Amino acid sequence: MHTKQRSTRFKWRSLVAMAATATLLLTGCSVGAATTAVAKHDLVIARAMDLTTLDPDRGYCDTCQIVFTALYDRLVIVSPEDSKTLQPGLASTFTANADNTQFTFGLDPAATFSDASPVEPKDVKWSLERLANIKGSASYLLAGMTSIDTPDAKTVVVNFAAPNSAFLAIVAASYLGIVNSDVASEHGASAAADASTADTAEDWFLSNSAGSGPYILDSYTANSAVKLTANPNYWRTKPTFDTVTLKEVTDSSSQLQQLQQGDVDIAMQISPDALDQLKNSPTVTTAAVDSFNYTYIALMPGAEGGAPLADVRVREAIRDAIDYDNIVKTLVAGYGKLQGSPIPNGFEGSEKVALPSYDVTKAKALLAEAGYPDGFTISSTYPKIVAYGVDLDLQMQAIQQNLASVGITLELTPVDFSQWADVIGGKGTPITAVYFAPDHTDSSQYVQYFGLIPNGGYVANFASLAGKTVNQAEVDGLTTALAQTGAERTASYQSLAQLMADDVNILPIVNPQLIMAHASDITGVTYSPCCNVDLGALGLTK
Amino acid sequence: MTAISLPSLAGNARDLWRRGSASAWLRPPMIFGYVVLAFWIVAAIGVQWIAPYDPIKQVGERLLTPSGAHWFGTDALGRDVFSRTLYGARYSLPIAAVAIVVSVTIGSVLGAVAGYFGGWVDAVIMRIADMTMAFPAILLAMAVAASLGPGLNNALIAIVIVWWPIYARLMRGQVLSIKQREHVESAVAIGASGPRILFRHIVPQSLTPILVNATMDLGQVILLVASLSFLGLGALPPTPEWGAMITDGAKNFYQPWIAAAPGFAMLTIVLAINFIGDGLRDALDVKATRR
Repeated sequence: MHTKQRSTRFKWRSLVAMAATATLLLTGCSVGAATTAVAKHDLVIARAMDLTTLDPDRGYCDTCQIVFTALYDRLVIVSPEDSKTLQPGLASTFTANADNTQFTFGLDPAATFSDASPVEPKDVKWSLERLANIKGSASYLLAGMTSIDTPDAKTVVVNFAAPNSAFLAIVAASYLGIVNSDVASEHGASAAADASTADTAEDWFLSNSAGSGPYILDSYTANSAVKLTANPNYWRTKPTFDTVTLKEVTDSSSQLQQLQQGDVDIAMQISPDALDQLKNSPTVTTAAVDSFNYTYIALMPGAEGGAPLADVRVREAIRDAIDYDNIVKTLVAGYGKLQGSPIPNGFEGSEKVALPSYDVTKAKALLAEAGYPDGFTISSTYPKIVAYGVDLDLQMQAIQQNLASVGITLELTPVDFSQWADVIGGKGTPITAVYFAPDHTDSSQYVQYFGLIPNGGYVANFASLAGKTVNQAEVDGLTTALAQTGAERTASYQSLAQLMADDVNILPIVNPQLIMAHASDITGVTYSPCCNVDLGALGLTK
Repeated sequence: MTAISLPSLAGNARDLWRRGSASAWLRPPMIFGYVVLAFWIVAAIGVQWIAPYDPIKQVGERLLTPSGAHWFGTDALGRDVFSRTLYGARYSLPIAAVAIVVSVTIGSVLGAVAGYFGGWVDAVIMRIADMTMAFPAILLAMAVAASLGPGLNNALIAIVIVWWPIYARLMRGQVLSIKQREHVESAVAIGASGPRILFRHIVPQSLTPILVNATMDLGQVILLVASLSFLGLGALPPTPEWGAMITDGAKNFYQPWIAAAPGFAMLTIVLAINFIGDGLRDALDVKATRR
């Protein structure tokens, strides 16, 4: 998710705080007996949810990835075993032409929607066009798409103006689920060029789904729960659970307690600190798995008050003044890794970039060279959220201490997420801290978002004193990479990763591991880079 | 000086002390209050000599349980909770005191003017006060603090905006009743100016309930500052403010010492102030002493 500022409306922080207090009082009164209260054919998942819509072409959030994956099958899917391999989904065959401008999908004849009607090429064309034309947060995934052809009853051809070797990986993204166009159109959905204004189906999608996934939407109550029931007409292996409920449980401690009591079967955001509480539990299984998520700080000279950062030596000094190992140890109890460039560990291109290292002497020397021997004062506005177990507030306080040791005074202003989005969309802030999680499995998304390219992410708007900044080598590198495959493409992404690391506008801080905690008899709880957790793959031990 | 002797501010202050006997000022709850409040004032002034560690530096492993080295354990960033709690007094006490003094000043002046002059002046001032008081204090303070942006100074402004009407209303009531008394009529008769009568002969006579109320409110304001910080609208990180520390503690349920220490600090200080305030009311309240 591109830090989700485009669509996410986080609840007002104060309400969260009050809820936390209320929870403190309530949980203090409960008795912690480890029992399994939930019948196993009804699965309950505890999660702090960031949902604001259930329209598959409008949503853009972590919870959206989970729900959309369960409701709407995609043309291809990411292999659960190897995130770099794609497998057939609704399309039993998928090919790209030599220059990666045309992609042909042969639909599986068995594929049906939840109302038993067949998945047809017109549905695919309609769904992709709707995503592009609704101009929502995830519409960028289809940038450059010129046309979609449906030459026969089972074939779809997607055309691009320029090479796009990332497209097959993008098609596996949860936002590219195929919608039953007849049903959705009846309820006001539109895929036409004016869909962003003409489409009126968003409300309908809050209580209905029209997909071909293993589950169908039963009900949704904002800030409370999303209930799914098994799709009786699912065209592949039917899911194990009759119903799945995603229950809003905001904080890690409450999730832990409900998991221990058996009130929920899976807790999705247990903090590494809470892991100790579960170590010897006979009923709960935990695992820390590598993720592709990370938190980072962005250094933005072009933002108001950011002038000292204009000298790359100052940015390098900040990079070298941060004690990354201590932050990983302190913030995620060691359950995390360092990361060298905006392309995260495990993604194509990340292999050769050096990890950041802590060197106060070097940082001081760089600052002196840049004309700041006594440091300077600079401000930082950031959202006060916990991202993948990393409390950004604590992360920034740790960095504040590190920078103080080289003379830089960092003034921290934690704000509500929506306020932060306003700041970033306005005058900016010299230093900010946010997080990033992938939308799909191709490295291009990182260059598109963090590279200094036209129409890039917010960082490119503030990357130099001049404001909007373009690094032509990155623009050319991305164009080249999108036209390549195999080892050549890997080499191109490696160069791009190094170029972005050398910009020193983005400093990845922690690549945290994901803590998976669930009742011991649940199987298939794995993390997928495109789709978070695949509810359809969850099962029970025999 | 004319032969007519009118009560003055100094005379009134002496009256205050005369009203209660020594025993009224030294009841056990009040003594407890004095001791605890004195402790926190000393802590606030001399914390750099008392606190064992720097309150914003990482001084140990994170989330350590309370021990000899760290009396109240450490927080999620490895900072000493005991030192942070002591430093917290440096923020809560002065802010609450300033907020009360400013609110009392603004509220008393406006209330006195409204009560003495009446008419449209009274109507305008008191309707503004009524409007402000129509909102629950915490909600209005949150709204003001949120619009000004987070920070302790802005929290202070928010609290003054919420709190002054209480004193305006109280002072207006006092002025309305004292205005009818003979000594005021005498002052009018000898040609004293309006402001002189108001601020020399009426306001000093009205101070007792304001003083008692302000003392009682001090505890409430400490809690309000902490509430705003708890909600992220007060102290900015890494300021060791009690409300902000409780927010940190709430994120770490299983390490209850992080929130308990500042919570206990607030409990003692508010309890102490309430005891003193209750004692003051009993010692000074005319109606009570007449019984």
